[in-house]
Amino acid sequence: MEPGDAGLGTKGAPRFFCTAGRGLEPFLMREVRERLAATQVEYMSGKVFFITCSNLSMIKNLKSAERVFLLIKKQFPLTASSPSKGKILHEMRRLISDDPGSWLNAISLWKSLLENDAQKEKLSQSISNPLKRKVDENEIVISKKLKVEVQKNEEIQQAFPQVKQVEESALEQGDSNAGRENLQEKELEDEVEEAADAPSPAFTFRVSCRCSGTVAKVFTAQIFIHLNDVYSVLGIPLFRVPLASRTYIQMAGLRSTIAWAMASLAEIKAGALVLDPMCGLGTILLEAAKEWPNVYYVGTDVSDSQLLGAQGNVKAANLQDRIELLKVSVVDLPLPSECVDSIISDIPFGKKFKLGKDITSILQEMERVLRVGGTIVLLLSEDHRRCLQDCGESSVPQIPPGNHPADPEGKENTIPSETESSLGEASKQECLDKMPPFGSLVSVECYKVSLGKTDAFICKYKKSQAARCYLPEPHCVQSSLLAS
Amino acid sequence: MKLLTHNLLTSHVRGVGPRGFPLRLQATEVRINPVEFNPDFVARMIPKVEWAALREAANTLQLGEVPTEPVEGYERDEAFLRKMHHVLLEVDVLEGTLQCPESGRLFPISRGIPNMLLNDDETES
Repeated sequence: MEPGDAGLGTKGAPRFFCTAGRGLEPFLMREVRERLAATQVEYMSGKVFFITCSNLSMIKNLKSAERVFLLIKKQFPLTASSPSKGKILHEMRRLISDDPGSWLNAISLWKSLLENDAQKEKLSQSISNPLKRKVDENEIVISKKLKVEVQKNEEIQQAFPQVKQVEESALEQGDSNAGRENLQEKELEDEVEEAADAPSPAFTFRVSCRCSGTVAKVFTAQIFIHLNDVYSVLGIPLFRVPLASRTYIQMAGLRSTIAWAMASLAEIKAGALVLDPMCGLGTILLEAAKEWPNVYYVGTDVSDSQLLGAQGNVKAANLQDRIELLKVSVVDLPLPSECVDSIISDIPFGKKFKLGKDITSILQEMERVLRVGGTIVLLLSEDHRRCLQDCGESSVPQIPPGNHPADPEGKENTIPSETESSLGEASKQECLDKMPPFGSLVSVECYKVSLGKTDAFICKYKKSQAARCYLPEPHCVQSSLLAS
Repeated sequence: MKLLTHNLLTSHVRGVGPRGFPLRLQATEVRINPVEFNPDFVARMIPKVEWAALREAANTLQLGEVPTEPVEGYERDEAFLRKMHHVLLEVDVLEGTLQCPESGRLFPISRGIPNMLLNDDETES
């Protein structure tokens, strides 16, 4: 990490960073490279940094990101060597007031991004510190100067512990306002002298929390500041609403970023037939159909209310040409064998789905209708995944992972465990799963992702050869009922 | 329900096996939706189509002649592709029934969604 890293990459291309749900970072890194031709992509402590010349409307298409920011400055973390209040406050002042050039650069870049964007959005003007929770009553606005008030979490002053990245770990829609109780706030006032060629005098900054209504409309921009043990990062959010909140999804089911990530693993090609046999509100199919439109999608569910919701979603997204719905049970699909190219599904967690028999019946029926060489991508709870492992009769050689460009700088392993995604040498981690008793399904890769309150696994399988038996005859079912 | 979907569906009543295809279509309400013509997409669907089943369904709905088999070079035959595009994707059965040819079991289509749930005694497993 370069000290005092300014918001300019080589050739003046702007630098950005995104937050992502935990576990989705490899998908996001891949996506910025593929969709935005991004360079210098690096993952660091919950954020993906990159450089791109793409315009706002292209950036807005990112599907695995939560929020995206224009980078003002990224530098070494504030030192914890002598955690005296005064010293820390002094360092924070320096963080803001040193190098006003980088601020002005960022502002002019941000303005030109907005001007190039056909639909100019009015941004809320309040600056929110992600660590701060309470509204400060003593904020003062001074126009014609760049003035920044920084609110500081006293906990950091005292102990400098690892700061939780609340905005992405909470995975909330809307502003990053996941709560941490008992925060103490300290208010700093700082003034930054304008440079000779100053931007328009109406440009003011203010730090506050949950500013809304008329008060919020006074300002033009928002500043995001994140201080932790790894870096100090300042940025301007590009969009008011998180990217994860899709304009084309009327009724949200599964988190859209996860749904897109699953679809991105399913090897969807033009002319394919893609099935979601437990589609619920259809989120996975909507995400897939938006990204891969020349494909025939079929969603099935047993619930009338879910299907009605899915139908509404499909119509609202104008995808009724590509997505068909059926009322059908996943363990009994009215489809001939080997007719589907990809299956993507969110296996419901919870008590409604018993472990053991149900999950194996589901997977057997999926395997039956899947053509040889087809792909299954499932979202599994911890329990389901363990059950599938336990049911395995023997281990099977893994399909070796394809070549993923190793990220040169982001070698952080935030999640320690052999079965969880590592972000170092390989951007995916294959499971050491035993093969489930479905003769031909081979486990390819597995990602642990956060769903907010719980964790889940995105698991990918491929069908390598014809299954031993298509119909769940007694002896097949019994041999698979090994899980207690 | 589009005819492309009907072309995939097979009855899974116990004991019926491959004789559950194709389902006999009967429609009381049909809607024609204009769908943007995408020749590449239609060309890719053609190899998956079961032609006899499609002809039967098209006849039931009085959609005109559907060829028995795609002619060679169909990928470049725009008139053919447009005709198939219309039959497969633009005809939507909103209300009607699908009948298992072997067991006679009726599956209702309501609001464009076929209900193919079986009772416990009807299923294989």
